[in-house]
Amino acid sequence: MKRFDLIVIGTGLAGLTAARTAIGMGAKVLIVGRGMGALTLFGNTVDLLGEIPPDTEMEEGISRWIASHPEHPYARTGWEGIESAIAAFQELFPPPYNFAAAGRGNSLLPTGAGTMRPTWLIPVTMAAGAAMTPAETLIVGFRGFKDFQGDTVSLHMKCRGVTLPLPRYGLEGLTAPALARLMDETSFRERLGEAIRQQMAGERFIGLPAVLGLRDPAAVLKTLETITGARVFEIPMLPPSIPGTRIFHRFREELIAKGATFRMGHPVSGAVVKDGRCEGIRIDNPPLVAEYRADRFILATGRFLGGGLWAEMERIIEPVFDIPVFQPGERGQWFGERFFEPEAHPIHRAGVVTDADLRPVDTLGRVVLANLRAAGSILAHHQAIEEKSREGIDIATGFLAAKKALAL
Amino acid sequence: MTKEEKPVPLTKLPDVCVRCATCMAACPVSRVTPRFPGPKQAGPGAQRFRSAAEASVDDWIDLCTGCRLCDTVCPAGVPISEMNMMAKAKYLDERGRTFRDWLLVRSDLFGEMAARYSKIVNPLLKKKVVRWLLDALLRIDRRRALPAYEHPTFRRWFRTRQAPKGGGPEVAYFYGCFTNTNETDVGKAAVEILEAHGLKVVVPPQRCCGIPRLGVGDLRRAREMGRRNVDFLLRTVRGLDIVFSSTSCGLMLRHEYGPLLHLPGAEELARRLFDICEYLLGLHEEGKPAATFQPIPLKAAYFAPCHLRSLDIGLPALELLRRVPGLDVSLVEAECCGLGGLYGFKKEKFAIAEEIGKDLTEAIARMKPDIILTDCEGCRMQIRHLTGLKVLHPVQLLRDALERQGEEIHRVPVESFNYLG
Ligand SMILES: Cc1cc2nc3c(=O)[nH]c(=O)nc-3n(C[C@H](O)[C@H](O)[C@H](O)COP(=O)(O)OP(=O)(O)OC[C@H]3O[C@@H](n4cnc5c(N)ncnc54)[C@H](O)[C@@H]3O)c2cc1C
Ligand code: SF4
Ligand code: SF4
Repeated sequence: MKRFDLIVIGTGLAGLTAARTAIGMGAKVLIVGRGMGALTLFGNTVDLLGEIPPDTEMEEGISRWIASHPEHPYARTGWEGIESAIAAFQELFPPPYNFAAAGRGNSLLPTGAGTMRPTWLIPVTMAAGAAMTPAETLIVGFRGFKDFQGDTVSLHMKCRGVTLPLPRYGLEGLTAPALARLMDETSFRERLGEAIRQQMAGERFIGLPAVLGLRDPAAVLKTLETITGARVFEIPMLPPSIPGTRIFHRFREELIAKGATFRMGHPVSGAVVKDGRCEGIRIDNPPLVAEYRADRFILATGRFLGGGLWAEMERIIEPVFDIPVFQPGERGQWFGERFFEPEAHPIHRAGVVTDADLRPVDTLGRVVLANLRAAGSILAHHQAIEEKSREGIDIATGFLAAKKALAL
Repeated sequence: MTKEEKPVPLTKLPDVCVRCATCMAACPVSRVTPRFPGPKQAGPGAQRFRSAAEASVDDWIDLCTGCRLCDTVCPAGVPISEMNMMAKAKYLDERGRTFRDWLLVRSDLFGEMAARYSKIVNPLLKKKVVRWLLDALLRIDRRRALPAYEHPTFRRWFRTRQAPKGGGPEVAYFYGCFTNTNETDVGKAAVEILEAHGLKVVVPPQRCCGIPRLGVGDLRRAREMGRRNVDFLLRTVRGLDIVFSSTSCGLMLRHEYGPLLHLPGAEELARRLFDICEYLLGLHEEGKPAATFQPIPLKAAYFAPCHLRSLDIGLPALELLRRVPGLDVSLVEAECCGLGGLYGFKKEKFAIAEEIGKDLTEAIARMKPDIILTDCEGCRMQIRHLTGLKVLHPVQLLRDALERQGEEIHRVPVESFNYLG
């Protein structure tokens, strides 16, 4: 039977980062996921810690955060760990479609709800959003494209807004992936650019839904900027996220090109455990169950949406290895009074607790399986949504988990 | 619940869907046309409103190609393509299937005959007037070249050939209809490459796997065909592994006979079925007797068919091809060829298939390969049609790369594709 140096479970940003890091260290890697992960839901920019104010320098803000949150995943990686992991992520996206921070701290970017949201690394197609001012910006929506309501965005942002028909007949009702695909066509985006130019009243910035191409977004941006003479930016919107899909595709391309085995579409249903070590995993592909063996494992299965954590009546469990999960009290205490609370619902604290090497531990701090590590949002003691730390946690812990696993 | 409605297992309920829209990022059809609402709506979305007692209203359900890419990305394990297929079956049961669909799914029956009379049939299929007639009368699009038939069939070739002497462990081969009557060289290459790995090949009796029937939602006949195959093949698998070279046949045999069609014995069969490259790669990786390859200095583009992704075995062909020295092979970054089996032959769907294929064509154009390799006969047909380039099954190239004693120069990859363009 085929044996891998490392098996990564989960094809979200944490798993992809772990697999890529391991491949870079020369390991033979299998990465498996039952679905595509949260990148296509929320993946747009890279948040490190949106919670700290924009005028605070990121390194300083995170170092202080770590000092006051000793159980947070960032306390495992440290600022250095975050920095090197983020640098590796940036290397995967060389110009022209690159990710960069707009300042020394968080930058505010417009969202599809018409709000401003703090974030750290910004893809080149969104960079101008960090520099825009409402008075100088035109928001463009498309008629019949339900996932982006240009009127709402412009109203909330106090910009001028227009809703344009698409420059080709019969396209109403198209989805974001369909629009992104059309944008990859030069003639389509040229006609769109021309239609936008005709609507302009001296604006210096143009905001569009984040559908500026799947294959070559930088080229789409360039065409639109050349024709309109303005700086153009994408605005993140409802799933599926096109920028997130770009990130996923780039990782998958790189992993396969470098020899990783990539499996997707079926869940890992269980593990083969012996003498405190994990020896293999089982993947359900009815009517078959495939077994794969490896020396090391990384669990990056995310939280509730993807199935990394599972809520039973009174308890939250981790279904693959059944490793201990930090419990947010009894069920009655899982949720706050209202859906949108300023504080995270206690259930979001649930997750896998690890030692400094990201090895899951039990309530007494004992390592559960010597060759298993956990990475990404499945970890306990973060509130990725409220803190705005989702991608940072995924990238930093995915990177660290692979480094530690292969240092064995 | 009305009397006809059976309880659905909890994991197959539409409510399992969390409405995350990930599947919308994967569907090749809704990416090119607003006429199909995409997997999220067509599958679990519409499923909530479907009832066995009421007539279907979802006209667009027929536009799902059954590529199953949506299933591979869904984080909640929703059986989206299966929901679509069931809805399509019901829709077509109510509306009736066309004569064309009746005819196309029976290609396995007239294929043997057509192969025998290929000298007459092939020139006919090439004729403009015949293609025009097929288009006008049957709505088989005249812009789509029809595959030529080959004589003798693979089966006949295998039976009448001079089998190599000597033993070795046996392995059985499921060739599939298209290999048998239209692309016999794939079968010959499969046999040769298996033999070069020290195996003795047997070809058990077999019939069409039945996947074309699923494409027109005819589950009853798909099940009949499956039952016959299970009967034939079980006898074989009680001793031997079976390899297949067509990813679509393989997907049908391995993963639809049991979970979808509930055929007795399907699980036993599935356990001994392998994609041919998966099998060969296994031999190489486990250090079993394996062939060695001589250099083939070509630039190759490998395309992973949708049904291979659905098999979810990684990309064994690509890994094997990387073992051929000198071969510069890389993966085509495209999601689907668009043909969808018989889908792309149908006049009302031709434009959709072409549009989907465009992304693949452009990806290939950027790579500028000497040769394209892919495991599915549908993909090969479509890529030839779209690019005019040489497209082979990976085993054909591997066969050409085999190091043979006393043979200095490798054979030139097969030139004749019997493809009417
Ligand atoms: C993409 C998306 C968009 C959405 N948009 C909106 C919106 O605009 N407005 C809105 O109001 N809602 C919306 N929802 C729905 C809403 O966010 C969630 O359904 C709800 O808040 C559940 O919270 P969760 O994400 O923590 O739960 P999930 O991550 O879905 O986890 C639910 C957990 O509860 C467990 N569970 C379920 N039932 C039981 C039970 N009876 N006993 C024990 N455990 C049980 C499950 O096992 C599961 O583990 C949306 C959901 C998604 C996925
Ligand atoms: S099976 Fe293919 S065509 Fe049908 S909905 Fe799924 S992804 Fe779309
Ligand atoms: S990917 Fe799955 S869960 Fe998400 S919308 Fe599609 S069917 Fe529903």
